[in-house]
Amino acid sequence: MSGDEVNPAAVPQPVEDVQGDGRWISQHTRFVQECKDAEPDVLFVGDSMVQLMQQFEVWRELFSPLHALSFGIGGDTTCNVLWRLQNGELENIRPKVVVLWVGTNNYQHTAEQVAGGILAIAELLRSRFPKAKIIVLSLLPRGERPNPLREKNAAVNGFVRSWLPRLGQQAQFLDVSKGFVHSDGTIIPQDMFDFLHLTLTGYRSIAKPLSDLLLQILEETPEERRASLV
Amino acid sequence: MNAEDPNPAATPTPCEDIQGDGRWMSLHQRFVSDSKDKEPEVLFVGDSLIQLMHQFGIWRQLFSPLHALNFGVGGDATQHVLWRLSNGELDNISPKVVVLWVGTNNHGHNPEQICNGILAIIQVIKNKLPNAQTLVLGLLPRGKMPNPLRERNAKVNQLVQEAVSSLPHASFLSVDPGFVHSSGSISHQDMYDYLHLTPRGYQAVCEPLHAQLKSMLDEPSEN
Ligand SMILES: [Ca+2]
Repeated sequence: MSGDEVNPAAVPQPVEDVQGDGRWISQHTRFVQECKDAEPDVLFVGDSMVQLMQQFEVWRELFSPLHALSFGIGGDTTCNVLWRLQNGELENIRPKVVVLWVGTNNYQHTAEQVAGGILAIAELLRSRFPKAKIIVLSLLPRGERPNPLREKNAAVNGFVRSWLPRLGQQAQFLDVSKGFVHSDGTIIPQDMFDFLHLTLTGYRSIAKPLSDLLLQILEETPEERRASLV
Repeated sequence: MNAEDPNPAATPTPCEDIQGDGRWMSLHQRFVSDSKDKEPEVLFVGDSLIQLMHQFGIWRQLFSPLHALNFGVGGDATQHVLWRLSNGELDNISPKVVVLWVGTNNHGHNPEQICNGILAIIQVIKNKLPNAQTLVLGLLPRGKMPNPLRERNAKVNQLVQEAVSSLPHASFLSVDPGFVHSSGSISHQDMYDYLHLTPRGYQAVCEPLHAQLKSMLDEPSEN
């Protein structure tokens, strides 16, 4: 990818209200309001994978206790998340960690472009929160059987893994994609009920390594910062 | 609408695999194969509102004990459910009650078309399962604030309720406990994205539904 070309996956874009019930902007507006009312230590940002996690017990068990906010919207691409974050969802908060999980809905874009979009979001997060850690979660495999989108998501993960170190120590890639594809090449509905979205069992398997990492990062938060937050 | 015009909402249509991972067909095939070794008393059919119900504790709590199967697919409109039920999902089972909840995804269709799509599904169920009762659930309001889709869904409910009242093999149940507050808004505590239900939203919907199913299963005399 030449540096001169505009990456379409890194162009901020709101979701057009094609259905006519205004749900996307209603959710964004609510998130902006939540920033004014809450003081999260951990911020989750992304698509339905982030959004649905909040509906399951794992959220209350592992993430609510860490003072976490969840800004996930089903169907969002990197472009949509970029737009939301540039339009109020990062105002009035100072999280210690941001978890980013988006990219599997970028159907129009190549793997390289999607990875570039993810990196653009991570860069924005770094510029807004110079002291926060940024965890980028890997995209998951999808579809019951091997298919082009699985290959694409794996390629996105490869690019993100190799490019993220450009942002320095502050950003970290966490691969949660292992274990979903069985030896016969299938994904089972006990893990992903529609071969894309996670069941409670599926969430449990990714939530444990993530919550371990979050606890470790929060532990390492400098004393003076912790004291100032008491 | 001219009576000669084909109604897209009542024309069996498989979902096109635009994304390229074949998930819709995988789910349909899984339902067909699931139905071969199960003997459900109750079958739930519909879109994501049916599908997600299966993922929360409420399903195990209220519906698993009734021997229920769940054939919900996110994004499905009436024409997709019509195709699935016409292509194997009803061929190996004989449930007493089919719970049908679909129509809110019929974007671009008017209330009459959607109602007729629902009636076409009821007819397929009648043909395939002559002894089963179909319980049609009313579409829920959607969107945080008042909007045309809320009005459309309400109109669909009115039409379906009227049409079903004359059918001995079908009935209508409104499951909206009052999700729209006096201010006109819907709370994200009930619908996290102003369309899909939270566990709390499901609780409010499923308790009356469960009571209705119990009474239908206890009174096999209506046929
Ligand atoms: Ca009736």
